[in-house]
Amino acid sequence: MPTYGELRAAAEQAWKPIAEPPRPLFAVSINTSSLAAGAQATLDALRGLADAGGFDVMRTGDTGFAWAEPVVQVVKPGGQRVLYGPVTAERAAAFAQAAATGVATEFAVGVISGDAVAGVPMLADLPWMKLQVRWMMEHCGVIDPEDIDHYIANGGYAQFDQARAHSQDELIEIIKGSTLRGRSGSFFSTGTKWSFLQGAKAEPKYLVCNADEGDPGAWVNRVVLESDPHRMLEGMLIGAYCTGATYGWIYIRDEYPLAAARVGKAIEQARAKGILGADALGTGVRFDAEVVRGAGSYVCGDETGLIASVNDGRGMPKIKPPFPAQSGVLDQPTNVNNVETYTAVTTLLRLGADAYSSVGTEVNRGTKMFTVSGDVAKTGCLEVPFGTKVRDLLEAAGGVAGGRSLKALQQGGPLSGMLPAQIALDLPLEPEPFRPLGAGMGGGGLVFVDDWACVVDLNLMFAHFLEDESCARCTTCRGGNQRMVEIFRRVSRGEAQPTDPEHLTSLAASFQYSNCFHGTLSPTIMNNTMRFFRDEYDAHALEHRCPAKVCEALIRYTVANQTEAVAHAAAVCPTGAIARDGGAWAIDDTRCIRCDACREVAPGDIVIEDRYKDAIPLRAIETASVARAGG
Amino acid sequence: MTTPDNEATIEIQHLIRDFKPLDGDLLGALHAVQHRYGYIPKIALGVVAHQLRLSEAKVYGAASYYSEFRLTPPPGTLIGWCSGPACHLKGGDHVRRILECQLGIGMEQNTEDNRVGLHLAQCNGTCERAPQVWVDGEVVGPLTANATLDLVRKLKDGA
Ligand SMILES: Cc1cc2nc3c(=O)[nH]c(=O)nc-3n(C[C@H](O)[C@H](O)[C@H](O)COP(=O)(O)O)c2cc1C
Ligand code: SF4
Ligand code: SF4
Ligand code: FES
Repeated sequence: MPTYGELRAAAEQAWKPIAEPPRPLFAVSINTSSLAAGAQATLDALRGLADAGGFDVMRTGDTGFAWAEPVVQVVKPGGQRVLYGPVTAERAAAFAQAAATGVATEFAVGVISGDAVAGVPMLADLPWMKLQVRWMMEHCGVIDPEDIDHYIANGGYAQFDQARAHSQDELIEIIKGSTLRGRSGSFFSTGTKWSFLQGAKAEPKYLVCNADEGDPGAWVNRVVLESDPHRMLEGMLIGAYCTGATYGWIYIRDEYPLAAARVGKAIEQARAKGILGADALGTGVRFDAEVVRGAGSYVCGDETGLIASVNDGRGMPKIKPPFPAQSGVLDQPTNVNNVETYTAVTTLLRLGADAYSSVGTEVNRGTKMFTVSGDVAKTGCLEVPFGTKVRDLLEAAGGVAGGRSLKALQQGGPLSGMLPAQIALDLPLEPEPFRPLGAGMGGGGLVFVDDWACVVDLNLMFAHFLEDESCARCTTCRGGNQRMVEIFRRVSRGEAQPTDPEHLTSLAASFQYSNCFHGTLSPTIMNNTMRFFRDEYDAHALEHRCPAKVCEALIRYTVANQTEAVAHAAAVCPTGAIARDGGAWAIDDTRCIRCDACREVAPGDIVIEDRYKDAIPLRAIETASVARAGG
Repeated sequence: MTTPDNEATIEIQHLIRDFKPLDGDLLGALHAVQHRYGYIPKIALGVVAHQLRLSEAKVYGAASYYSEFRLTPPPGTLIGWCSGPACHLKGGDHVRRILECQLGIGMEQNTEDNRVGLHLAQCNGTCERAPQVWVDGEVVGPLTANATLDLVRKLKDGA
């Protein structure tokens, strides 16, 4: 079996032509976001042009620049690196010619390294990059995630190789001292959790990597696994050394086929090099791992649900205790961590505890990855120090799209809450400041919501999600979420009952008797809404009005101007709702499904109005009837 | 005598031959079957149960628990409608209303001729292309209402 030094030397040979390419090297980002933007066609087109154009082509993972996909980086023999995007297949030829011989200014996002280029900013000066400290993402979009040599040549697996310089206890203490806590949103001390497994008596012991990433709007784990899977795997190996675990399961959600394929490949390659196996890298550690594919269940992201999913197939969360460290996969002691947690361990050891602690806050040192989406100018994935202000992150992402104003931040998936802009913008990104607000920071998803959105409508959407995804073991969770859907549905229709706020309060209390966090945290967004957005709730409930003009039962489409465009709108309307009434175009509201097709072709001429323009507020009706009853 | 059922049984047995009892293999076996057939045929439940030494009820319990396992044959074209937040903020409901109205079906239903089906899908983090649908796994987006109308028209015409 070769030693680490030998593996490293061989890997450096393989890496050399990429670090110092003899001809221009085009590195095409291939990841789920780029594939959705047509990157496979770009890669194929560039490969077809390579020979004639005198350049080489390679594949990388995900730079986090989802907003610029398909992204291509070009490395020149002199060391100049430029990031380009979007580079579509249709324009690949024009791009390739310009980028191989000089700088394709038209496509350039920024210069990564080398001399400044007129008209192209340095990448590090872009607002998108300025805040970032890319430690965990160091290799994202730089190496080929399907080639283990790229990882090893850049120092990969050195931390595992050197782990035995410390005792298990020493290493666990280093991790504890670093303030590293679970990145799933749990923020439980990783070192402490590892010490539980280390102390467990029964053998064998197992590690699980939680890559279920079920929070809609979060794809942090996907970026890591599609770009640098070995960095996560090395974290698991270090965990195996510290805890005595001998086998690992990497549980990847069904929506991430590319991540599953790349992790599968990473495992095979690590096994072939003796990095996984009976005597991993000759360290005496025995560890191997496999991928388990999820199949579309949010609560399988809960660690007990995940374990049940592996053990029994049916992934229903269970009551704790027993805790996973006592009885987990195959009823053996098990430690579950998020993808980013294992990745952060590797990163912490690579940097050393001091350097790692040089950014972040007192209680949360280091960096955290976030994905930004929704009504934001630039969608993508960033890594920033803990404590970065939401406002600054939003600015880095180009602010709210279309110059509109921010209404709310919906962070950390459906269990973490939704906060109004005036509070959210000043929050530092670490878990503590969110808690007194009745919210959580979550695992890294940040969805920005602008003033076109309706919070009642968003509540209904999340209530549907929570109801659908409840495993139905607990009446409080299953029934509670059904009730939440029912109430928000009638509020959104302007049919709220005066006692609904009280219903919601008692519902929030009964949710607390659920078995897992899916149930206990289900009322989070609803509670935030009643606390911070009561005006908007009341407009629906008391005035039968949706101020944002979103809720379908409270709006109507009408013709504002009799123009040619309205005739086009009539032609596209899928239900034939727009017809001439006498000479004038009018919309038959009973046929209108509120699909917006007409407004797209006749903006300004077809408008959305309140459906109940002169509605009497419910309070007024009540008062009137009370007055009548009294009189 | 080989009946089609026998043949299917033998094929499924072969497909899942590497999966073992008490090894956390149930999901893997079900994925293997769905990968081959596009759904999990009834006959496979028994074969998987036998291979993993489980009751058929337990296998059915698992297969029916997850939204991405199908127990009926897939439609010719499966449209996954993203139900996530970015898609929602950017008009995902307009897309859904058009799909449902034009196809005359709801989520998790197929058209009568089984040509097109709708499936409520979860965000996979390609939110920069919101609002979107996945047509047989390929992301199509960002969509407008009118682009959705064109898409359905094409699918209905069998193009
Ligand atoms: C309903 C529910 C869904 C969850 N989904 C995930 C998930 O997708 N990924 C994840 O890592 N943790 C998820 N968790 C948290 C896990 O139970 C567990 O705390 C976590 O994997 C521990 O990892 P960490 O210590 O590294 O944070 C979820 C919890 C609940 C209650
Ligand atoms: S709280 Fe909800 S998801 Fe969790 S076990 Fe109970 S019913 Fe299932
Ligand atoms: S919203 Fe849709 S259904 Fe209603 S009038 Fe406009 S095009 Fe027709
Ligand atoms: S919300 Fe639809 S892809 Fe993320």
